[in-house]
Amino acid sequence: MSGSVADVRSGLPAEVADLLAPPARPWWKWAVSDRAARYTARIMFLLIWQWAGTVFDDIPTPLSTVEFLIEEFRAGEVWPNVAISVIRATIGLAFVLVFGVAIGIAMARWWRVRYFLTDLILVGITLPAFIWALLVVMWWGFSNIGPIAVCIVSATPQLVVNTFQGATATPGKLLSMSDAYRVKNRRQFRWLVIPSMAEYIAAGYRSAILAGWGAVLLVEWFGNDKGVGFRAHYWYDARSFDGMMAWGLVMMLIILAFDRLVMDRVVTHFRRWRIGGQQWS
Amino acid sequence: MATVEKTLEDIEQDAIDALQKRTRTRSRIVYSVLGALSFIAVWAFFSAFVFEPFILPSPGRVLIEMWELTISGAVFVNFASSFLKTMAGWAMAFAIGIPIGLLMGRYRYARAFFHDFVYIFANVPLLVYAVIALIVFGISPWGPAFVVALEAYTGIALNTAAGVESVDRGLLSMSRSFRRSSRQTLRSVVVPSVVPFLFASGRVSFANSWKLAALAETFGGYLGVGYQLEKSFQVYSVVSLLAWMFFFVIFVILVERFLITPAERRVFAWRDPASVRQEQT
Repeated sequence: MSGSVADVRSGLPAEVADLLAPPARPWWKWAVSDRAARYTARIMFLLIWQWAGTVFDDIPTPLSTVEFLIEEFRAGEVWPNVAISVIRATIGLAFVLVFGVAIGIAMARWWRVRYFLTDLILVGITLPAFIWALLVVMWWGFSNIGPIAVCIVSATPQLVVNTFQGATATPGKLLSMSDAYRVKNRRQFRWLVIPSMAEYIAAGYRSAILAGWGAVLLVEWFGNDKGVGFRAHYWYDARSFDGMMAWGLVMMLIILAFDRLVMDRVVTHFRRWRIGGQQWS
Repeated sequence: MATVEKTLEDIEQDAIDALQKRTRTRSRIVYSVLGALSFIAVWAFFSAFVFEPFILPSPGRVLIEMWELTISGAVFVNFASSFLKTMAGWAMAFAIGIPIGLLMGRYRYARAFFHDFVYIFANVPLLVYAVIALIVFGISPWGPAFVVALEAYTGIALNTAAGVESVDRGLLSMSRSFRRSSRQTLRSVVVPSVVPFLFASGRVSFANSWKLAALAETFGGYLGVGYQLEKSFQVYSVVSLLAWMFFFVIFVILVERFLITPAERRVFAWRDPASVRQEQT
């Protein structure tokens, strides 16, 4: 774009080109730009962490954490454990998507189902994943079922609530207008109901992914022999704070990367038709 | 006299509406009771015929356990302990979150500066927070309170910022033309528009903070719900684990019904409830 503007400008007389030129930016402007602000924040965070780590002996510094992580990479522990945890979370979250959307739509469609399930869903939301994790470890011990089951149980209620909201939030005026203009039901569904619901489902699935990933980690921590959570617990048993911090960092990086690179775009994609919505994420 | 000019049809219609409403609420209660009962029935069936009692104890057995815990007073002591930690964390979260939110809503630089802090802290898995609490504070009540503050301030900051942005510009310029002091403007214009947003965030984050406090207690606590759950897990007692789990649910629902909802109704009293609900989503 800027290239084409410059081309146009070069063909004009000098006086006119001067008028068209963008106003000169003062040299200090870059210091208050958004990008500079973000990097300042990141650097300050690292510095504070490093300072806390050097003042208090128990707290690992960022440098020692990264060094520890590199050691774990050398030992070949990182990729296999990450792969196992991610596979467990993926399987669990696939079920969550199916169950959550189906139950949410059923609750919106039939009022009997809604009242039947409302209290159970409320209880499901209030129950923390770690209680399920403890129960499941007592029931199944070290297994693949445990993490997947807790992932489903603790992430589904969240998605159900969002889907339900989405299904009841279809703009009524548009529906009655479509009726008035005799738009076929199928077309209404495709162009009205699905787009208005998709936004809610995407947002709900985003938080379900966070919950599901946390659930898998918790079960692995409390009783498993593989996975990221297990590895963190391994270093917990060895009383290595560096190890716990390093694996905590791995847990964070995976969810942050996925949320930022995938889910953020998915959510934006599904709400692109909504104009003027304030985005605070 | 003109106020009670109702035609016979109106009265008739009102009676029909009231009747329908009553049957609707009655069937609503019937179905929610049915939902809870069927859950308990499935549980009772499995505990009686499928699993051993030490794997899945019967509902009656859990109820007896809950009764014993109530009589001995253990419930109150532990819940009070966890509740105090959560509230201490929340107080800190408000102390950090509101200034950050005000800055973020007012200045573009602050918004960019705090963006990553808020985003990352909101997306960290709860397990990582619990590990951080253990590393930084060891076995201490301050660990749970500290991580609750870290987790909860994000929602408070974001919602304060959204609230500041939503302040009616017309009201602001009107207060300026009537020469109100900035303190008066803050008190009567800014605060009333920000507070509903705070409630929207508080509702969601209370349940979450409570879960986090309990989880952090399982790691580094000597009193509290999380510690009791961990103890049941260590001695492999599914009965007491389930008992504490139901106490947990009851407590969250009680707080929601008797603390948050009445407070919310009071704060929202001056506004049209429908518009608030729209702003939340």
